[in-house]
Amino acid sequence: MDLGLQGKKAIVVGGVRGIGYAVAETLAREGCDIALSARSEDGVKDAVASLSRYGTKIVGKPVNVKRVDEYKAWLEWAIEALDGVDVLIPLSSAGGGIGSEKYWYNAFETDVMGPVRAVEAVIPVMTERKSGSIVFVATTSALEAMGGPQPYNAMKTSLITYGKQLALAHGKDGIRVNVVSPGPVEFEGGNWDMIKGTMEKFYQSQLRQQPMGRLGRPEEIARAIVFLASDAASWCSGSHLVVDGAFTNRTHF
Amino acid sequence: MWDTARMDVKRVVDVARVQPEDAASGTPVDKAPDPKLGYDVIPAARYFSPDYMKLEWERIWTKVWLLGGRADDIPNPGDYICTEIGKESVLIVRQHDGSIRCFPNVCLHRGNRLRPEGLGNAEQFRCMYHHWTYGLDGAIERLPDLCTFPQGGPPGMTLPSLPCVEWNSFVWYSLNPDVEPFDDYIAPLKEHLEPYHPERMAWKRDVTVEWDCNWKASVDAFNETYHVQGIHPQLLWYLDDVNVQIDCYERHNRYLIPFATISPRVAMPSQIPPAIHEIMVNAGMDPAEYEGRISEIRRDVQIFKRKHGKAQGKDYSALNDDQLTDDYHYMIFPNLALNVHADDVLMFRQRPHATDPNKMYYDVWVFELVPEGEPWPERVKHRRFRHGDRSIGQVLDQDAYNLPTVQLGMQSESFPGLWIGEQELRIRHFHKVLDDYIYGSDGKRPGDL
Repeated sequence: MDLGLQGKKAIVVGGVRGIGYAVAETLAREGCDIALSARSEDGVKDAVASLSRYGTKIVGKPVNVKRVDEYKAWLEWAIEALDGVDVLIPLSSAGGGIGSEKYWYNAFETDVMGPVRAVEAVIPVMTERKSGSIVFVATTSALEAMGGPQPYNAMKTSLITYGKQLALAHGKDGIRVNVVSPGPVEFEGGNWDMIKGTMEKFYQSQLRQQPMGRLGRPEEIARAIVFLASDAASWCSGSHLVVDGAFTNRTHF
Repeated sequence: MWDTARMDVKRVVDVARVQPEDAASGTPVDKAPDPKLGYDVIPAARYFSPDYMKLEWERIWTKVWLLGGRADDIPNPGDYICTEIGKESVLIVRQHDGSIRCFPNVCLHRGNRLRPEGLGNAEQFRCMYHHWTYGLDGAIERLPDLCTFPQGGPPGMTLPSLPCVEWNSFVWYSLNPDVEPFDDYIAPLKEHLEPYHPERMAWKRDVTVEWDCNWKASVDAFNETYHVQGIHPQLLWYLDDVNVQIDCYERHNRYLIPFATISPRVAMPSQIPPAIHEIMVNAGMDPAEYEGRISEIRRDVQIFKRKHGKAQGKDYSALNDDQLTDDYHYMIFPNLALNVHADDVLMFRQRPHATDPNKMYYDVWVFELVPEGEPWPERVKHRRFRHGDRSIGQVLDQDAYNLPTVQLGMQSESFPGLWIGEQELRIRHFHKVLDDYIYGSDGKRPGDL
């Protein structure tokens, strides 16, 4: 199956670690030009250097999506550097946190407004080209109780709703919008890597709950995201794909 | 110093440290030159031989200064601490003039112990057997039917006096009447430890656990950071066990461990680890507000505490910035390990069993800074139990876990002794000081343990 990504231009917000990096790498392998971001300059530099080996155009610049003006300028820069945009995958996240009210603002600004502002930047370009694909990354924590009541879960949930509504509104413009909700994913430097080291019993209890006996790997999520982003998914829009090794208990009717 | 890049690490980390010129007035931070102590095996028999245990008793325990307790446990005349070391028990008693005195806890009549181990207050010490009665100064105040002792009372009609001093909120004693001055013994640690002002800290925990190992196995367990990657995996998201400064002095030693940071042995996480989160909360920071990188937290906690400590009633003025986050870990020969921090002291007193080299007593003493203006908390109760009966917290449980099997394994015919690496230099130094006490200036002879 040809994904039809050769020569496409993709923006990956938060593309230097974990799922974000795996998405960027999968896209690069498929022949996409990529503009990527992260907060850390070193992280961006390393990711750009590493992804350049696939021979497409890879550009990157650090940005903190919470700094609105800086972030908007970054988005403009990315579109210009790629000379357009076919694919948008905004993954930036503030992560979890319970207790301080500030966690709500962090999650709102990063997990919600990060994608929202990126969408606003790319929609005019995609509309003009009558083609584009956007994939949001939510979480299975939006679907079932996980990690206690916290802004991360609630804010990520809003992407599922917003994604569907964007799909409805922009189908006429040739723009598809989909959402992927990953289950727990483990990678070096990720949260589950830390949980394995710091709370081993809890980690083992999570493994026992996993039907496939393991957590997910970034590339397993990335392949689902990249499929939805690609022309191979040309009639997939407004969909919400759970990628969790059957971890969640609910039936996805 | 070992080559951190060639160790089993994921990253090479350059730790920012306070420089000697910036710490001139407080705890010295200078790196002491590493002593050249060779690479010999440390004989395992030291840990279980009754002969070696006897040498330790004769040449160490009865010769050196020993930690007795906390001065604030005996504020008033007649308050006393009764503490044991090996087969001996002593009374450290607050006098009417505010000074302290120390006596053997034994009635001169038939040898009965005057008081059980622990804290108390007495107007006089009366033996429960024949009511021989001693004043707070140790003098015999009443000897019933003295006229029936034609030889008179024991020499001087008083308990012998043992050396004792108060220093830095603690009381110290020695079983050796001719012990060197305390200041000479503790050198150079006075200037190291006084800036922490432990007198501003109150008891938080007071626990004694009986362990099935030699006391030195416990000393060793806290004298190196190499074990962190082995038994404390969770601490790799809390401290840097690779970039550790070791300083060996004449008989004491220390290491300095950066806290509130991520070990080079693991990948840098993207979320603040729970234990570092707690450090920030305890400092008064809101981790949710934190915009810096995880690698910057240690420095930012230092800056925050420096700025806000005073308003929180915490006077950090005598401490350098690293001391606001890091673990300065001291070993005071022969048997004390102290993790000193700006807001608390976590210390261990390791005492030998009276007769069995395969057993010991592990005292856990924790003190916490009482912010100015806050009431002094009630003293915690002393608890005592055997290893495994209760948890003493995740980290200390992990430390204790291997010791009984270490003690068993060391007695194997196949185990000549400890194979010590550079990260364990303090263990080698400790055993060198043991040698100095046990074999004196003539040094060890072939066949000596």
